[in-house]
Amino acid sequence: MPAAPLIEQSFLEKLERLTLQWQRSFPGLVGGHNASRFPGAGQEFLDHRHFHHGDDLRAVNWRAYLRLEKLFLKMFQVEPRIPVRMLIDASSSMKTGTPVKFEYVQRLAAALCYIGLVRLDMICLQPFRDGLLDSFLCGGGRHRFVGAVNFLSELEASGRTDFLQVARQFAGGYSQRGLLIVLSDFLDDRDAEKPLQFLADQGHELLLVQVWASEDREPGWEGELELTDAETGDRMEIALDEQARLDYTAAFDEYTGRLQRMCQRTGGRHIGLPVTASLEEAIFGPLVRSGGVQ
Amino acid sequence: MFFLNLSLFEFLGLLSTTSAVVFVLYLLNRARRRAMVSTLRFWVQAAHPPTTQRRRRIQQPWSLVLQLLGVLCLLLAIAQPRMGSPERSGRNHVMILDTSSWMAARSGRGTLLDEAKSLALAYLRTLAASDRVMLVRADGIPTPATKLESDRGVVEAAIRQSRAGAAALDIEQALEFAANVQRLNGAGGEIVFIGAGRIPAREGPASRDAAPAPANLRVLKVGQAAENAGLRKIGVRRPAQDPGVWEIFVSVRNYGARPFTAPLSVYYGGAPAGSVRVQLLPGAEQEATFQLRTQSAGWVEARLHTQDALADDNRAVIELPEQRPVQVEVYSDSPDLLRPILSANPLVEAVYRAPASYTGQGRGKVVILDRFRPAQAPSTGAIWIEPASRVRQTVSKASITRFLRDHDLCAGLRTTAVQLESARVLTLDRGELAIAEVEAGPVIVARPATPRAVLLGFHPGRADTRYDLLTPLLFANILRWLEPEAFRNWELHASSVGAISVALDSGVDPERVQVIADDQQRLPYTVQGQTLRFFAGTPGTVRVITNRREQVYSLTLPQVGETAWKPPANARSGLPSRAREYLARDIWQWLAALGGGFLLAEWILYGRARRTRRAPQPLAARAAMRQAS
Repeated sequence: MPAAPLIEQSFLEKLERLTLQWQRSFPGLVGGHNASRFPGAGQEFLDHRHFHHGDDLRAVNWRAYLRLEKLFLKMFQVEPRIPVRMLIDASSSMKTGTPVKFEYVQRLAAALCYIGLVRLDMICLQPFRDGLLDSFLCGGGRHRFVGAVNFLSELEASGRTDFLQVARQFAGGYSQRGLLIVLSDFLDDRDAEKPLQFLADQGHELLLVQVWASEDREPGWEGELELTDAETGDRMEIALDEQARLDYTAAFDEYTGRLQRMCQRTGGRHIGLPVTASLEEAIFGPLVRSGGVQ
Repeated sequence: MFFLNLSLFEFLGLLSTTSAVVFVLYLLNRARRRAMVSTLRFWVQAAHPPTTQRRRRIQQPWSLVLQLLGVLCLLLAIAQPRMGSPERSGRNHVMILDTSSWMAARSGRGTLLDEAKSLALAYLRTLAASDRVMLVRADGIPTPATKLESDRGVVEAAIRQSRAGAAALDIEQALEFAANVQRLNGAGGEIVFIGAGRIPAREGPASRDAAPAPANLRVLKVGQAAENAGLRKIGVRRPAQDPGVWEIFVSVRNYGARPFTAPLSVYYGGAPAGSVRVQLLPGAEQEATFQLRTQSAGWVEARLHTQDALADDNRAVIELPEQRPVQVEVYSDSPDLLRPILSANPLVEAVYRAPASYTGQGRGKVVILDRFRPAQAPSTGAIWIEPASRVRQTVSKASITRFLRDHDLCAGLRTTAVQLESARVLTLDRGELAIAEVEAGPVIVARPATPRAVLLGFHPGRADTRYDLLTPLLFANILRWLEPEAFRNWELHASSVGAISVALDSGVDPERVQVIADDQQRLPYTVQGQTLRFFAGTPGTVRVITNRREQVYSLTLPQVGETAWKPPANARSGLPSRAREYLARDIWQWLAALGGGFLLAEWILYGRARRTRRAPQPLAARAAMRQAS
């Protein structure tokens, strides 16, 4: 019995008109779809500057030289081709929830990948746990989507999350700045805030998509509980009542708020998605509203 | 409303105990739920550690309430509450169907029992469907034909299969049995007697009409005025003065309310042996006597030529046994001395032979050895006359001074003035008894060990004793002692089943009496004074064997009640009106389902089914999504 496709064909058709957007200006070769404030070999005039020795004489504004007898060089706006990288959390904590968060992330990653491929973006699917796993690079059109789906389908969630190690390896492995989409629940034992801040400081534009299950934010249990950490296996016995549940939700929201504020500081974006929301609802709702996809 | 299975006290006790257990379990052991979470980092700061203090109060009160409701409903289902009053719930009726012999009497187109069956079926149809009925067949002994049965088909089948018995009705025992059944099973309904109610006349001054009857008695009587006369009993015996003749006594009773006249005949082997015409006033009894001379076996039938209500008691049959004489072989040189003694007894057939012809292989049951000592002792009972080998001394003109009067050989011997011209005093071996003694010692010795033997130290045929009363009595006793089966007195009776009283001879040892039924099983009996009593509930033949007498009871005549039972004045009569379907309804099924529903709901809402997670809340999720983005 063949496995169910990650995304239905009808939904892919809806994604055709969307485009991955980023706010920062990145230098790069022509071929992208987002304008950059860095001048380049574009068609649209951007600015003038003084001519320096070695500049291309074809870009000199000869009209201004005739009038002012000074060499000014015309600069043109460019739409560079920017790499889009997706960090996909494949740790054990993603196996929890109903529906399972990891399955939700697989489908979301596939959808974003399709949106990028349609716009001829270069997409790098980079799963991670306590370090970076084997990645998958695709680009050049929608016909590469099948390979990306196969790669995502073969992923399995296990192990622990270590954002600090992931950030180090990412900074060392990917020198070109670009859009960094992080699909995760960000429920590391330690804060993911600082490693992500580090990546933003490296020049990457962060698009954090935080996926949570219902019990991650509002646990429905009551009474005596024995909780087991999905990643570490640690156990905790607690007594949960309404006040404790409210405290828990507040702590979760406070953590989410810190991630949001970090993104705002670094020019990135934070999107929170409960797994109970449909994929279409998530993409055409929060993702579109945040400007990450247009 | 009332409980069918439990009393209110039992129900409250069970409910309080179960509720207390559930409550304590809630306090002590609310199972800790296990859950897998993405991280524990937020739990550390949010949740309280489990403490003993928290366990001392109900954490999920609605769960406890649901469980208690479930327990309550299940206990109510067990208790089987019913709407209405206990009096209107399913009741237990005991139906006493008269199956006594009188119920075989003809009445209209059928018998009285047919009428009673119709009434019983009609009564069944008047009962409510929830009522239970036990059918008791009552004749001499009440016999339950069904248990308390709510299936009308079973009761109707038992009614239709009922047959008239041979015993008379014992109404007191039947009513007592029915009352006991209702007392043991509760929910008493009615005790219904259906039948003619003919009972035997009570022995003694008390009247059966005054016997206490249950207050809930209903009487459905049938066949009030049926005319009947019949044989009550037949007795057959041989008179002492003429053992070759059977005397037949036939007793006839008129059970009806009008005078009765009819011929009574006796047949032997199908041939008429005598006939008389009996004339009886109402309730009177008359006995007719017939004589029949025969020694062979055969059937004696007494027949009352009439067409009355009950045909079963108009004919009775008795089987007469064959009378076989005792074969006696006499070895004597002077048989004429013994011939008068032996020929006087018609039950003795003597054969006289010379002592030289003795071989020890004779066919006689008894051997008489007259002053003759054979080489081989006889294997049967023997009478030794003046045995030469056992003589201790010879005396002359001696008188018998002592008899062993308790012994059967001395039965009827009252004389003490027996003079013997000469006699031989015999030696007494181990195990032998001295029956008669002279001054010098025993002259009659008996050996009880098999084969039995009697030794006479004098010749009974000699002139000195020949004409003495002692001689025939002593010989008769000796022959009866040696061969008791042949000399046993026979008495044959044809009577009805039930309790039989037998008059015993004086001196009969009660422990040696045997009461034997057809199948050779010994029946229990009691002996009070000179009266033996036993009970036979089914027709058949019962033999009462004493030492000298065998009485055969051919219990083939039905035991017909002489009087009509008068029910108490407070007893209801006639068929009741058809009962309304009572308001009582079983609701235990609904209570059980409700209790199970409560427990299922508790399990779904608070039990293992809810361990994973609450149901997703889309609206809350969307709100959180908007908030997060």
